[in-house]
Amino acid sequence: MYVELKDVNKEFKGFRALNDVSFSIEKGKLVGLLGPSGSGKTTILRTLAGLAHPDSGDIFIDGKRVNDVPASKRGIGFVFQNYALFRYMTVFDNVAFGLTVEKKDKKFIKQRVNELIGLVGLEGLQDRYPHQLSGGQRQRVAFARALAPNPHLLLLDEPFAAIDAKIRKELRLWLRETINSLGITSIFVTHDQDEAVEVADEIVIVNSGRIEQKGNPADIYKSPATPFAARFIGESLVLDRHETLHGFETYSGYDKAVIRPELIQITKHGKQPILHASEDGIVEDVFFRGSLIEVHVNVKGMRLIGHRSPEEEPLLPGEKVSVLIYRLYLYNEDKVHLAENVRLKNENTVFI
Amino acid sequence: MNFANASETVDRVQEKPRGPGKAAKYILIGLGVAFILIMLVLPLITVCVYALKQGWEVFSGAITDPYAIKALQLTLLATAVAVVCNTVFGLFASWAISKFHFRGKQFLTTLIDIPFAISPIIAGLVFILVFGRIGWAYDFLQAYDIKVVFAVPGIILATIFVTFPFVARELIPLMQAQGNDEEEAAALMGAKWWTIYRKVTLPHIKWGLLYGVILCTARALGEFGAVSVVSGHLRGKTNTLPLHIEILFNEFQLTAAFAVSSILVVTAIIILILRNIVEFKGRKEESEHVR
Repeated sequence: MYVELKDVNKEFKGFRALNDVSFSIEKGKLVGLLGPSGSGKTTILRTLAGLAHPDSGDIFIDGKRVNDVPASKRGIGFVFQNYALFRYMTVFDNVAFGLTVEKKDKKFIKQRVNELIGLVGLEGLQDRYPHQLSGGQRQRVAFARALAPNPHLLLLDEPFAAIDAKIRKELRLWLRETINSLGITSIFVTHDQDEAVEVADEIVIVNSGRIEQKGNPADIYKSPATPFAARFIGESLVLDRHETLHGFETYSGYDKAVIRPELIQITKHGKQPILHASEDGIVEDVFFRGSLIEVHVNVKGMRLIGHRSPEEEPLLPGEKVSVLIYRLYLYNEDKVHLAENVRLKNENTVFI
Repeated sequence: MNFANASETVDRVQEKPRGPGKAAKYILIGLGVAFILIMLVLPLITVCVYALKQGWEVFSGAITDPYAIKALQLTLLATAVAVVCNTVFGLFASWAISKFHFRGKQFLTTLIDIPFAISPIIAGLVFILVFGRIGWAYDFLQAYDIKVVFAVPGIILATIFVTFPFVARELIPLMQAQGNDEEEAAALMGAKWWTIYRKVTLPHIKWGLLYGVILCTARALGEFGAVSVVSGHLRGKTNTLPLHIEILFNEFQLTAAFAVSSILVVTAIIILILRNIVEFKGRKEESEHVR
């Protein structure tokens, strides 16, 4: 394991920011720390960088315990949330800063900085100041600056938060490709699950100072390990009377259930072939979302949200529909269970 | 066609006056100008007119008087020491307050403001109570033959006390607004504190620093109250320029008093111009570099 945290704890004035945090990361992986704001993900990043110090626990980088190694000696590149570019220095001087501090040879600095500026595609902007750049360009400068001293580990704090939505997608792809081509182990923090799913090889879900789950995006999506992970990932909706739904009567011992739009099929009334496994519902609202239609349906007093293709026959509010629920994530305080619709599994079983 | 209409509507909306009308605008400007004329410009002109009333000879005689020159030297000395001390103090205080977390930070910030709130006379009296004949440090000072009160050190101390918030007050908000990110980024790359301060912090605060130094200088040059209490008014020894003016005035040497005053007036005007230049440049740079 290249980076490893073992039982790391950190308290801020009685607030438990990190609670027995343990996880490890393989060399060369691009990992996303995902969690709501205040969950402690930035604290984990700062602790790794040496900008914050854990109260207890061990941090290992490349097999070496780095708790007592100062931030500047850990070989880490850090991209700050607002980039923290030196605003009274040009792009060139910003990128060169780390090398200048290391008292590297002038010729080498020039060559290395130009190489990095080429890598991030900012040729010709060497003499600009940060305030003369767009948000995306600033991010690229911050990225180049962090990479200049050749770090073994790159940490990025909310790298896309300060960029407008339109170029964010483009930058995500760019960052992923660039990091992969460099092969540098990287950890980034985000509160945006789309971002985490799209960019990361592996996701670590953080909540109230604890690690909830670690895994690749598909696994985290498919099999959430904790109630929090189940609620947090996807467009999740919490139901509290799941046992009244057809196909889920037999599951007991769980208080609540999480449902996502992709687990529901909504069909015009009478067009549902597997009728005994589905529910009747009334359409409450229909929203056009561009690539899909979002339908809100009332089933037994519960509101469910499903998606339909714009190619399908349109539904109208007040219309009676059939709702087939494939799966639910049932949970109580500490357990999550993936519940399949039993009426789908045993189509021959007769129910009273 | 549609486009033209749209822009016309926009123009009309913008033309519509907001807030008070034209009359109010001119009344306010008039009042402001009248106030400044009566309260500031008129007195300044009077000083200059009075100073030159009995001709150039008397004027130059008054300002080249040995006592006047001595007083000017003492004022400049006290000002120079106070500005240097308060600049150093201001740099450290603003750094401590804006970049570190510690207990009693708010209290320290409030303490820095005390000289603004306290009357200079009281500041002077405090020094008498500490270092004077009845003060608790008197025996100690006496033993080492150090004179503070009614001597030059007292005047310098009083000047420092009265002017010490100026630099710190200018820098603290600037540095707080800047945040710690840039410094952290620099530290993470292995920069030492001096490099960080020189390359990251200082460029950001340089105009504010200069502005604070100028304000501090202006205040130190004109300081009267606190200095008056600790000076003892020994001509040629512990008299500063403002005190010298008071003595001349009390001796009914009005022309001489105004002549010496004109030195302070001219320096004040020069400082004011410098201040405006610095403020303008600082604002311009600020608006450029801060997103």
